[in-house]
Amino acid sequence: MTSTPGVPRPLAGHRVLEVGGSLPVAAATKLFADYGAEVIKVEPLGGASMRRLPPFPGDVPSLDTGAYHVALDTGKRSVAVDFEVASGREVLDRLLAQTDLVFVHLESAFAVDVRAGIRALAKPPAFVALTEHGLDGPTSEYVENDMSLFAWTGRMRNHAIAGQEPLRYAPHVAEMQWAATASAAGVAALWARAQGQPAREIEVSGVEALSGNVDTWFTTWQFLGTEAPRAGGQSKLAYPAGCYRCSDGYVVFAAAGQPFFNRLCEGIGHPELAADPRFIDPAQKPLNFDGFFAVLDPWLRARTKHEVFTTLQRHGVMVSPVLDASEVAGDAQAVARGSFVERALAGGGTTLLAGPPFRMEGGWEAGPPPRVGEHTDEVLRSLGYTSTERLALFRAGVTG
Amino acid sequence: MISRLLDGTRVVELCEVWAGPTAGSLLGDLGADVVKVESFPRNSMSRPLAAPIAGPGDGPVWERSHVHHLANRNKRNIALNIRTEAGTAVMRDLLASADIFFEGYSAGTVDRMGFDWETARAINPRLIYVSLPGWGARGPYEGYVTLGSGLDAAGGHTAVRGYPDRPMEDTSPIYHSDATGALAVIFAVITALHRREQTGLGSYIDISQIEVLNWHLPGQVAEWAMNRRLPERLGNRDPLIVPHGCFRAAGGEAGDDDSWVVIAAETDRQWAGLAKAIGHAEWAERGHPWSTIPGRLGARDAVHEAVRAFVAGETAERVVEVVQRYGGIAAPVVAPWSLLADPQHTYRNWMQTVVHPHVGVQIFPGFPWQVSPDAASWDRPAALVGEHNYEVLTGLGYSAEAIERLQADGVIGQRYGG
Repeated sequence: MTSTPGVPRPLAGHRVLEVGGSLPVAAATKLFADYGAEVIKVEPLGGASMRRLPPFPGDVPSLDTGAYHVALDTGKRSVAVDFEVASGREVLDRLLAQTDLVFVHLESAFAVDVRAGIRALAKPPAFVALTEHGLDGPTSEYVENDMSLFAWTGRMRNHAIAGQEPLRYAPHVAEMQWAATASAAGVAALWARAQGQPAREIEVSGVEALSGNVDTWFTTWQFLGTEAPRAGGQSKLAYPAGCYRCSDGYVVFAAAGQPFFNRLCEGIGHPELAADPRFIDPAQKPLNFDGFFAVLDPWLRARTKHEVFTTLQRHGVMVSPVLDASEVAGDAQAVARGSFVERALAGGGTTLLAGPPFRMEGGWEAGPPPRVGEHTDEVLRSLGYTSTERLALFRAGVTG
Repeated sequence: MISRLLDGTRVVELCEVWAGPTAGSLLGDLGADVVKVESFPRNSMSRPLAAPIAGPGDGPVWERSHVHHLANRNKRNIALNIRTEAGTAVMRDLLASADIFFEGYSAGTVDRMGFDWETARAINPRLIYVSLPGWGARGPYEGYVTLGSGLDAAGGHTAVRGYPDRPMEDTSPIYHSDATGALAVIFAVITALHRREQTGLGSYIDISQIEVLNWHLPGQVAEWAMNRRLPERLGNRDPLIVPHGCFRAAGGEAGDDDSWVVIAAETDRQWAGLAKAIGHAEWAERGHPWSTIPGRLGARDAVHEAVRAFVAGETAERVVEVVQRYGGIAAPVVAPWSLLADPQHTYRNWMQTVVHPHVGVQIFPGFPWQVSPDAASWDRPAALVGEHNYEVLTGLGYSAEAIERLQADGVIGQRYGG
């Protein structure tokens, strides 16, 4: 499902700018590049900070082989410039004047300054500012990282057993969701601009992006007057739901409710349990977890997680295997669909990249990630800088 | 006035629970006219017919579930039995009128109902059609069923979150993939609108929510692919950052005895700020063993113990305020009620007060983005079952008599359970 010759990818013809160097801003523009836009990554001379995120092959640090850079900078062009000096800022301003959509993740004051510059343009690009808390307000200057951002959102408290240490999700998952939120808002703004609507200014606060999506637990508390249960993996009240051990690992059930509970009872060869009041009467069910587990557990322990998965899915039961990274890449569905693509790394070796997050004929192609400043000279030339000016900017340490 | 970025775009949603319906709400927030085709006469999973999940207020239980309210703002609602001949005809009319259609049932379900892509494009060649099953529309797992917790497991996330020192049985189910899946739908359908400008034609889009999750976890598969190592369950630890963790604070302003703060120092500068906040600026001064990154990595337990002692002696609010003042990273682990008192949310008027006929006045978390000049607004609370049957059908050209006949025949309705 890569692009086909002669058919432009759907976002072809649009220029998108990424300013800031962080993981969230790089992730926010990734899909624009993969689906055909020209994405220019404006990064500091020392390279974007997200290039420094591990893992690296052989644990050898490199600005060109980090997993996040390789995965999220696909097909982008890199311009390395020190935009904190006047000459570098002019480069940025010229880029902004020839851009359809810009994403920034900068200190608030600088982001506001960039926004002011955009407002003065005859045809301003759509503007998306990624901020941790917002461009202004009492906590707008707070310093956060992936974990602390998550703590502000309510979901960290819920990802805990009551009274025990709350947990983040896997590293960078919060930042990635924040970025995907900015992507979605950004592509809408690009569409509106292409339709001749006025350019939009959008703020995507990390805290709001995470707290304002569907898996917030605020509404549970608001509606029911109590927190969502924080009981850990296996609910003893509404079951089976959560992690259960099999012969070689775990599966996750979401089969407490109907019709899934009935299907499960049938699938494990005990259809009579689906009519047993101990397990279907709402008053009795919470008292009889052990009785049901005594039947389910031996059935699970006699089977692998894959056997449990495929057997019970044939009965229409919501159950999934808990897969590790190697199993995810080798899973039958992933292999059949080509969910991952192998990519050669600078300096040797390969890695796996996730394929298209949505499949549209001829829509997706993940080009190679750029070296720091790989496209500085050609982009500056396209902006009208003469050869002498480009040399002078390079010699002065403004570009790289 | 709602945001108008997608002004003039008609969306038809055929989805249940969270990922798909959330996408519908977000498209509505952006200004699309979203018509939700509600399952009828069978109630959807998020509209239970009986307590104990009922929310506040009175009226039918299926109108009061928070699970439903969360994912169904800014839409109109037609409750339609699409398994009837007349219902099929209405569905065809809806598809003919739409720019975007998306369905979130297990792979093959909607095809078997007669609304597969080939049929839909014959009705409306400009239609953008999205299938959103958990494992995608095609492949050996066609027909498999799941919620977000199962996708999290099969996508490799469950294996790497949870307590490092506790069995997997203690790892909580989460529904993160519903949020990421919804965002992928937004990007996909708007990208397809761009393509329609190029070609004049609609598109078919196959979304696997597992594949969406894959691209949100690039470090996990790379660790395996590059180094043949399986990522560990780290909890709040970071192998390269000290301190990096979650620490129990003294009771907060509300007297909460389950009050926690996360603390991290990714750089020497942040460490200096934290050390100063703790009252030990010398910990960051040259010569102190903790002043350098290698020094802190080698003293992880001792550094964490010092941070733990500091946090335990203060309220969460006080810890965060003082650490942030000096440039360190600190955040409270907020509880639901904390969102109401958050000065930043108040400053930005972020929380939304919504009035609903059955659950009354409720406060919801606000929008995930802020658009200027036309800010998103919560113009429509979660619609009642079939609330817009008449309005939607009239818009499709149905006469009052025809609508009454559909009602009498049970093709449309406004309530469950006969």
